[in-house]
Amino acid sequence: MVVLTSSTREQDHGTRRGAGSFFHAAAFHPIVRHFAIFAVLIGAWEIGARTGTIDPLVLPAPSAIAEAMWRLFVTQRNIWWHLLVTIGEVLAGFTAGSILGIGLAIVVGLNPMVRKLLKPYVIVLEATPRIAIGPLIIAALGFGWSSKITIVMLVCFFAPFINTLSGMLSVNEGAYELFRSLRANKWQIFTKLMLLDAMPVIMAGLRLAMASALSGALVAEFISASEGMGVLLKRYTASLNMASAFGCLLTLTALGFAIYRTMEAVGNRIVFWRHAPQMDAVSRRRQAQWQRNWGA
Amino acid sequence: MTALPRKVEAGTATDVADIVIAGGGVGKTFGGGAVVALEDASFNIPKGSFVSLVGPSGCGKSTLLRLIAGLIERSSGSLTVHGREVSGPHADVGMMFQRATLLDWRTAVENVLLPTEIHRKPTAEDRSRAVELLKMVGLKDFVFSFPSQLSGGMQQRVALARLLQTGADILLLDEPFGALDEFTRERLNLELMRIVAEVGATTLFVTHNIGEAIFLADKVMVMTPRPGRLARMVDVPFARPRRPELQQTPEFNALVAEVRDILGTH
Ligand SMILES: Nc1ncnc2c1ncn2[C@@H]1O[C@H](COP(=O)(O)OP(=O)(O)OP(=O)(O)O)[C@@H](O)[C@H]1O
Ligand SMILES: [Mg+2]
Repeated sequence: MVVLTSSTREQDHGTRRGAGSFFHAAAFHPIVRHFAIFAVLIGAWEIGARTGTIDPLVLPAPSAIAEAMWRLFVTQRNIWWHLLVTIGEVLAGFTAGSILGIGLAIVVGLNPMVRKLLKPYVIVLEATPRIAIGPLIIAALGFGWSSKITIVMLVCFFAPFINTLSGMLSVNEGAYELFRSLRANKWQIFTKLMLLDAMPVIMAGLRLAMASALSGALVAEFISASEGMGVLLKRYTASLNMASAFGCLLTLTALGFAIYRTMEAVGNRIVFWRHAPQMDAVSRRRQAQWQRNWGA
Repeated sequence: MTALPRKVEAGTATDVADIVIAGGGVGKTFGGGAVVALEDASFNIPKGSFVSLVGPSGCGKSTLLRLIAGLIERSSGSLTVHGREVSGPHADVGMMFQRATLLDWRTAVENVLLPTEIHRKPTAEDRSRAVELLKMVGLKDFVFSFPSQLSGGMQQRVALARLLQTGADILLLDEPFGALDEFTRERLNLELMRIVAEVGATTLFVTHNIGEAIFLADKVMVMTPRPGRLARMVDVPFARPRRPELQQTPEFNALVAEVRDILGTH
């Protein structure tokens, strides 16, 4: 069975360039370098927009975008509510979808019978582009929150479901044999072995689900809604207020980045045994705990 | 499963009482009889003895161990442990495999405690015993390390401590150090010999190495493949404790040659 993984940037450590290169001189510390390049780009863009080389309807000037964002967040403050609505849809849909996905996968994984019965439906659902169900759901549930959350839930359901199932079905053979020889019952095999053994794959599924949750919520809002970032973005582009539209886009980028980083941090904590720094910390913590409770 | 009457090989009355594992014509086939993994194996294993199993790949060594552990059902014959027919996983045996199969999310000591945890909430004594066992296998400084922080040899030491934590008096070791380098393997063999003598366990030890099999054991079960058969049970007369130099003596080499001969003629 296929395991879905997000392309992770976990192994980035230790890939820095070798010493001695020109760019490694103290003045070109990577951060300094990034800022320099960034400033040059923004400067060129600003000049291009002001001299009319760049059509502001295509790409508004950085200063215009900054001004629009100031308005959105500080003076008019109209973006906050929409942002909150979208975040709410993402969180609720993600939670519901992943609980449903993981829960169903556990039921299916533990029962070969159910697995056989459900398999065709799962395949059909996998083959259907989930977003295409969107208008149908809106027709059924109306324009409000519940339809948005349902769409996000559907978008979020699949990766955790597939990954949990495949993680449970590919449980370590030797460890399974060990549990059997210890006469462990099904519940113990499930809680002490299968679930934890599958945890890295489940987390990868959750990361993917979270990444698609934001897109799902936005598309649902594009289809039909009265509030949310998708609505705001559509409204600004329709009225050709491109600076504000870009402000919304930047905000969404920041939100996506925050979501990615949060999921990464949570994942590293849960699957601590795959991340050396976390593992050291947990090891020390358990040692301290043991010594407190049971002595040296 | 056929419940044949218990059949014990020739021996005096006291011998019989001292037999912990007895096989009478044990057979195992897979795939509805297509593969004969083990055929008509009869043997007696005395209490506290160290028995090595040698033989080429596919001769049924692992199959025999899994039968004794009750992990698979035999197809024919009788097999008793402590006089009781084996009919499923039971508490008298503990198993260890070529791969340590430690749980990555548990520290060394938590891994050692697993067998206890399966049956009850570990007590303070269980816990201190787990730490003691880790000291016994030379991991005093790694009690709270995670498996991925340990070398392959150290992981097998943890697996050995976990095996001892089961409290089983029969230890089934299936090529436990087979994946390790030769130096580590020799050291661990010596330590294993010391430890099983200390806890007084009956030990079945699978290996591909004839010298290793003889050096460690009181008896060597020599097995041959296609179909898997128990060709001979060879007694090893050397006194204990044994030192590695034993392996250079003519008597030792004569025994190695004898076992090789049995394997070669099949
Ligand atoms: N679950 C199984 N299903 C089908 N055939 C099996 C199974 N387990 C073992 N066999 C077959 O039984 C025979 C004996 O296998 P076994 O694993 O006991 O050999 P072994 O002596 O342990 O070999 P090795 O030294 O390679 O570990 C082999 O021919 C093997 O293919
Ligand atoms: Mg084997």
